[in-house]
Amino acid sequence: MKEKWNFIFYLIWFSYLIMSAVLMFGHGFLLSRKTMSDITECQHLETFDCSGRERGNSSIEESCTLDEKIKQILSVTGSPLICAPSHGRVVFILVDALRYDFTEYDDKLEKPLPYQNRLPVMQRTLELCPDCVRLFRFIADPPTTTLQRVKALVTGSLPTFIDASSNFAAMELQEDNIIDQVVNAGHHAVLLGDDTWSRLMPRRWFRAHTMYSFHTWDLDTVDIEVDSKIYDELKKDDWDLLVAHYLGVDHAGHRYGPNHSEMKRKLDETNARIEKIIKIIPKDVILYVVGDHGMTESGDHGGESKAERTAAMFAYRGAGFGGQSPDIQTGREVEQTDLAPTMSAAFGRPPPAPSLGNILFPVLPKMTVAETLLHLTNSLKQVSQYLVRYGEESQQVSLDRLAHLINATREQIEKAATVKTEDDLSIYVSNVRLLMDNVRIVFREVWVEFDTVSMLRALLLLILVIFFNWLIVEGIPIERLPNIFASTFVSCGLISMAICVSVCYTVFHFELLEDVHHGVILSTGLISSALTCVLVIMHWDGISQRWYEGRSPIYERFSRGALMASAAVLLSNSYIIEEGAELSFLALSVLGTIAWNIGTIKAFTLWVGFGATLVISRSYRGCREEQGDCWTSIGVGSTGQASRTALVMALGSMAAVVAIARRHVGWRGHGVVLAGLFACAHWALGWGALGSPSRSRQLARGSWLILGSMFVLLWKRERFGAILPLIVCSLLFFIANALVLGASFAPSAALGLLAGYLALNVVSMMKNGNSKFSLSTRCSSSVACMWALLASYQFYGTGHHATLGHVRWAPAFHAGDPNYLPIGPFVTGALVSLELFGMPFMFGAAVPLLALWGRNGAAAAGPRTQMAAVFTLCLKFGLCFAVRVFMSALSATIHCRHLMIWGVFTPKLLFESGACAAALLGTVVGATLTAWHVPTQIKPS
Amino acid sequence: MFAFNTQLELRRITISSLITCIYLPSIVTVISYRGSLYYVGKGSSFYILVLIFIAELLKSFYLSAPNDIQGKKGKTSKTKASDVLKSFVFLLGVNFCFFIGIILFGAPVLDLHEETLMLSTLLTILTIFPLILHSGVECSMQLLFGVKSFARDTVVEMLVNNAMLTVCGAWLGAVVIPLDWNTPWQQWPIPCYLGAIGGYLLANVLTVFKATLMTAAYKYPAVNFLVMILNKLRVSK
Repeated sequence: MKEKWNFIFYLIWFSYLIMSAVLMFGHGFLLSRKTMSDITECQHLETFDCSGRERGNSSIEESCTLDEKIKQILSVTGSPLICAPSHGRVVFILVDALRYDFTEYDDKLEKPLPYQNRLPVMQRTLELCPDCVRLFRFIADPPTTTLQRVKALVTGSLPTFIDASSNFAAMELQEDNIIDQVVNAGHHAVLLGDDTWSRLMPRRWFRAHTMYSFHTWDLDTVDIEVDSKIYDELKKDDWDLLVAHYLGVDHAGHRYGPNHSEMKRKLDETNARIEKIIKIIPKDVILYVVGDHGMTESGDHGGESKAERTAAMFAYRGAGFGGQSPDIQTGREVEQTDLAPTMSAAFGRPPPAPSLGNILFPVLPKMTVAETLLHLTNSLKQVSQYLVRYGEESQQVSLDRLAHLINATREQIEKAATVKTEDDLSIYVSNVRLLMDNVRIVFREVWVEFDTVSMLRALLLLILVIFFNWLIVEGIPIERLPNIFASTFVSCGLISMAICVSVCYTVFHFELLEDVHHGVILSTGLISSALTCVLVIMHWDGISQRWYEGRSPIYERFSRGALMASAAVLLSNSYIIEEGAELSFLALSVLGTIAWNIGTIKAFTLWVGFGATLVISRSYRGCREEQGDCWTSIGVGSTGQASRTALVMALGSMAAVVAIARRHVGWRGHGVVLAGLFACAHWALGWGALGSPSRSRQLARGSWLILGSMFVLLWKRERFGAILPLIVCSLLFFIANALVLGASFAPSAALGLLAGYLALNVVSMMKNGNSKFSLSTRCSSSVACMWALLASYQFYGTGHHATLGHVRWAPAFHAGDPNYLPIGPFVTGALVSLELFGMPFMFGAAVPLLALWGRNGAAAAGPRTQMAAVFTLCLKFGLCFAVRVFMSALSATIHCRHLMIWGVFTPKLLFESGACAAALLGTVVGATLTAWHVPTQIKPS
Repeated sequence: MFAFNTQLELRRITISSLITCIYLPSIVTVISYRGSLYYVGKGSSFYILVLIFIAELLKSFYLSAPNDIQGKKGKTSKTKASDVLKSFVFLLGVNFCFFIGIILFGAPVLDLHEETLMLSTLLTILTIFPLILHSGVECSMQLLFGVKSFARDTVVEMLVNNAMLTVCGAWLGAVVIPLDWNTPWQQWPIPCYLGAIGGYLLANVLTVFKATLMTAAYKYPAVNFLVMILNKLRVSK
């Protein structure tokens, strides 16, 4: 029985291959950025005296002009950021998806397209008053989706999909931004339109009228609502910043594309709006009309094509703008990151802390040289602070590059004092712009660009692993498996992997290889595929024979089809949104065909019970934002304290499971009961206002302690084979799941367990040719597919959804705050991922039961057959998850310019990989447990 | 597919399937022209079910009319009343089972019962009802619980085949429900309803097709090849 550990090693090897390929894909696909909560502060000019030093307590009246004072301050090295003396009012109108060529006007066009020549107001005002109007190309950075763009506009940074910060859960913007700057300075901001703004920046608005923005087929509601408010607001003068977000153009693009009469209508409306606003606003108020991104010819956006990136920026101020001739040219390209520092400057504030933009003087009122210099140095100082802080927090950018940039900015700050004339100033401005561009280029490299090569390589590795392992489990006759694994195959593989890793590190040491992790993943993946390929070729006779001989029964082909369907629909966003319902539908169908094939009343009853469990678990399934009706009917933030009924249900379900299971698991039942009791007491004591949180936390810790020790005791040798330890293991995982899910969701874990148990019993009744155990039926792919579908469903069944907003963080703290521990982050991570993926983990650990359980299970057969059966099932189960992960990675690649890539596909990929990792880990645990407990002596049979 | 035993059966099955192929599409066309296609889930469109019910009833009279060779007439007329009652109860039971099954597969639990009930009634009429008409309550019960095998009886085999395809059609119809096209025909239970009708129709079309081929095969033996392929499809059961 040497080979039993080889089976386990092979499973670990397989899991490593899958997960490393997924990691590699994620590395190329998920761009991440560290967010910091720093805030730029500035000091008022009054706190300085005429020599440019900070004034102490002495209140000597000195007389010097502002300009002199500023110049004095600038000549002092290391002076802080200064608030500018003047501030204006700004009307900021965001027309979603306003592409630059929508704003162009050309009389000579004979047949204008629906979107051409629709905004004549811009051209007309430009001709009337060239100094009052600026019209620029407003270049967006990918991802060109509205949420990311709004973040970029207010922070002046380059947001990525995952802005890693200390708090994932809230959508609230954690970084410094213009709204914060405005509000902190005591000014008032008013918001009209898209509720993305109020969700990003709640509690900051003086007045806010927002509307739900996800109905992309609704062209008018939000616009009409904004129109009904904006003209009244414009007449008031109690605000300093007015933000209005119009969605109609974007929605018209999504629904009909730019070449449609609806687009014409929406642009005409926009034109009328701008005309009216220009008439209303006072002369000294600045009006910015910008698009957050463009659109492709089909009306979509999200990617990085020229058409999607080129938005328009229109600025108007009745009293005129500053700026000089080459910079004010119509159609000049400016970056969207420039808006945040520019708007801050309009309010006399320094740029927000994460901003990487230039100040656009052509769209600001005319200023003196000293004031311009003040703004420029403010922005330089803020960027240099940001560079220092980013270097402290993250290693994404190499230190010498950062140091180089920091030195360059400091140099420029010192040069500021030498600037005297207008000519000096224009040279200085262009130098600063060059420097800022350099800074942005460095960060854009790490934040914005997909690494296509590693994405494609990862996909290739995944498909190789899946294909060859599929050949192994579906092709090679199962009778041969013990012999293959008793041979030196696995050890050969492991040794060659070790050689690969060491070669990679050696090459890296001699600096011939740049990225050692990619090298290791790629070479080990290719070597393993080559090895499995050799194995397949060696056994090709067996494979061809097996395929020639038998067609699999219909339920088996159907279940494979169902699994492939569940993977294929990951390419469609609507199915991902409704995936909970779809998975339960498919799991029920697959089990139904199995039950149909068994054809007894008992199997049918079990199937109905299984379906009923899934139906009941529907009430725990949440809603996501895109499921409009469901979302609005439940409301946000309903996951607070559990209700009384929920508590009773939780206690009841836990007690029922523990009481029923106790009798059948021998002495281990005591441990299970104890852990369950502690969990129940934890919920009961922690409930309501009367509860005692500290005691409740201690009880939870007690429960974890018992669970841990019971898990250790699982490895005590059992004489009667592996079934009993496997059941206890599943029960322990169930209690752990229920603990982290909390009282309000604990019954859903019990439902998951029950559904699994019913399915297990149906499987154990499957027809064999004769009454004895038959490998080909019990380890058929239908069983594995059904189990994988069920395990995937339970992610939804326990109240989760594949969005980042649905990650619950409370479980990390149910047993006290882990941040006081030295291993705090690890504990938090483990608890939260157990809460998310506990069900795939539990189902993975229970896979061996599928082969062993029941009267004609493999437990009666010899140990070699047992191990071979368990191994086949585990590998098939892992393959099912691997197929799903592969498809979600593929859909992320295909849809990387889709509207919903960051909202739907990427979170799905993240959660699918998480579920896959949990399932693989679970199967390894289950298989190891089986291998440990499998009887050693071979029965004479 | 299945083999035909006699010339007479062949003709009967062909004609009854042909009738289905004509009357079912015409019903669907008429209701879609009347604009009530989007209301098939409502109780107000119960008349469609009644129409189908009557059509199936008439068809079964033709299908299981005593043929000249067998000529047993006395048996059928004797136990009418109790038979009708029994079949009615049985149909209700089957209807309820379908109802539960549909809910298990994902129909709303607490609301839209009317729609679900309409779908389950349609399924009952298309699947079990012809079976009962043809072979009586007891026999179809035995068929359902697998006591009796239907391998010998061609008509029953055809009816079972129809039933399977109907259920498969309803199952497949659910595919379009989650899509976000926001069309009126994605409302529950219209896709499944139409899917069931489509499945039933497909089964009948296949039957007619096969019968035509077989008739042709008498004349041109080369066509036998196609018949064999059709028979292969059936083996997958």
